Amino acid sequence: MKPLLLGISVLMITILTITSFIVYQKPAFFMTSPFEIDITESTADAEEEVQEELQPVDYNEPISYSLQNNKLHITYDSGEDWSEVPIETGQLFSGDYNGPEQVLIDNSYVLTEDRAAFLHADTADLEQQRVMLTYSTDKGETWEESEIIHPFPGLRFRKIDFLDDQLGYVIISGSRTMSQEYSTAFLTEDGGETWQQTNSPEETRLIADGGFVDESTGFLSFGTISPEEPTLYVTENKGDSWQQAEFDMPEEYERVFLIAETPVKDGDQLIVLLDQGPNGDYAGGLVKGEFISDDNGETWSFSKEVEPDETE
Amino acid sequence: MKQNNKKGWQKVVGIIVLLIGAGLFCLQLGYLYVQSNYQMAYIDHRLFYFINIACMICLLLAILLLLSTTKKFNLISTGITVLFIAAQLIMLSGSNQLVKSVTMLSPDKKHVLAIKEDLQTNEVVYYRPYFGIFARAQERLPASVAGELKVEWLANDIAAVTYQTIGKSNRQFIATYGDRGGRTSYYQVGAQIHGTWQGENVELISDPEGITITTDGETEHFNWENTQQFGTLAIILEKDNEAAWTISLDENFEVTSDMTQYTDENITLYRATMDDNEPVKLQRQSE
Repeated sequence: MKPLLLGISVLMITILTITSFIVYQKPAFFMTSPFEIDITESTADAEEEVQEELQPVDYNEPISYSLQNNKLHITYDSGEDWSEVPIETGQLFSGDYNGPEQVLIDNSYVLTEDRAAFLHADTADLEQQRVMLTYSTDKGETWEESEIIHPFPGLRFRKIDFLDDQLGYVIISGSRTMSQEYSTAFLTEDGGETWQQTNSPEETRLIADGGFVDESTGFLSFGTISPEEPTLYVTENKGDSWQQAEFDMPEEYERVFLIAETPVKDGDQLIVLLDQGPNGDYAGGLVKGEFISDDNGETWSFSKEVEPDETE
Repeated sequence: MKQNNKKGWQKVVGIIVLLIGAGLFCLQLGYLYVQSNYQMAYIDHRLFYFINIACMICLLLAILLLLSTTKKFNLISTGITVLFIAAQLIMLSGSNQLVKSVTMLSPDKKHVLAIKEDLQTNEVVYYRPYFGIFARAQERLPASVAGELKVEWLANDIAAVTYQTIGKSNRQFIATYGDRGGRTSYYQVGAQIHGTWQGENVELISDPEGITITTDGETEHFNWENTQQFGTLAIILEKDNEAAWTISLDENFEVTSDMTQYTDENITLYRATMDDNEPVKLQRQSE
């Protein structure tokens, strides 16, 4: 008993002494960083993997991106040169999202000649997630990061777009419980550096789409699950107040055209396409209804049916 | 062979402290593992040295209680323990020059606020506790800290951390550990406190234009864009890029989806200052 106990004690003291000295030499041992953690981890993992040659997701466009090698890269010359985007790829799909991760989520990024911008969340803790925008205006040479909202648990719907080099919007939803969630919009007037949250309509159904057509006029479309009629809210004062748009729906299209897409400007008018929702079966289920508004989106009248290939 | 003439209680206590010592040793080894694999750290960096010291004391007691030893052996083993403890205290003192841990228990002892400051870079990181004594880095405070951190628990699950930046501007960070909505949904604190609130020499009005606070006859107005929400329990009102006030929801505040307003619910108003100030409790006034 005595040699065993003494032996174990000496071994434990030796190990504790050695680890104490090692830890003492590394004060960072006691401080982990909320951002460096994941970056370090992903970098280490990626180095162990065989690096694939980057291929653009869209071969037909000179401006494209790649999510290979666990990193997001962008190219402006069909894949000749690449710039790495300083975002961990997992952050691009973080939140209430179960779709494919080989391509970016539709509308969650802007990739044009003048701007590359990517919406993402910055932590794995869903309750404390920050919604962030990482963007570049010099084709990926330098990157900026701005915070849109913090915290925003369970990010689901996400959309970003810019109307010009300064004016842009972000629409997000989160905290989904069954078929209810919280949706909100943000506006920037300085190219994405700062974001102002707008008021939100009193609507908790799942958001389907949304967008702004100018600096004041914006739309939020609701009713992803089992809608019975289109629910489109419009603001004409930068989101300070929202009112539900009225659709003059021909009788034969009632319960057919159900979910509004984002309206677009056409001269002095606004045009919106309504699709049939997930269960639509009118004329094959893909035909959409085109509606026109002459009063900035407050009321809409039917224009025509649109075949699916006309909308692309 | 020397006969082991230890009494029964000595053996029992000896085995207990030996097991405690072995447990603490395993805890340290486990810490090394979770630190490198799960980026967890002790909630307070000093724990590492205190656990080493406790482990060493347990081992010494176990040896003295379980083994029949000579006086010379006892002196040597006690001397080694003292040297070990001295070395640990020296290293603890050294690490205190590099890292500062602020650890505070909530009034109901259910939550721990854990903040660590890198004294070389003045970077301050907020940690969320895991498994009692471990914590994971959650968020870097937005500006480098100059001087002390002032911590005030505004409720059992809300801690306000006030500090000054190197540029002498006041900042606040709010750590939240719960919610008032039954964890069913995210909600905006600003919208939930819509209405008029009264406290001792304080009136607060929250309306679509923002929040207006009147203290001792002096009125300040904050637009909604000058508010920052933390969790679902508190907002900070900012003025000239500085924190001015924190508003937090008390435990009797009930968040409802239909925005029902109860007159017996309270919020707490807390000024962002490094001076010694107390939070003020406000009660909702009927419309």
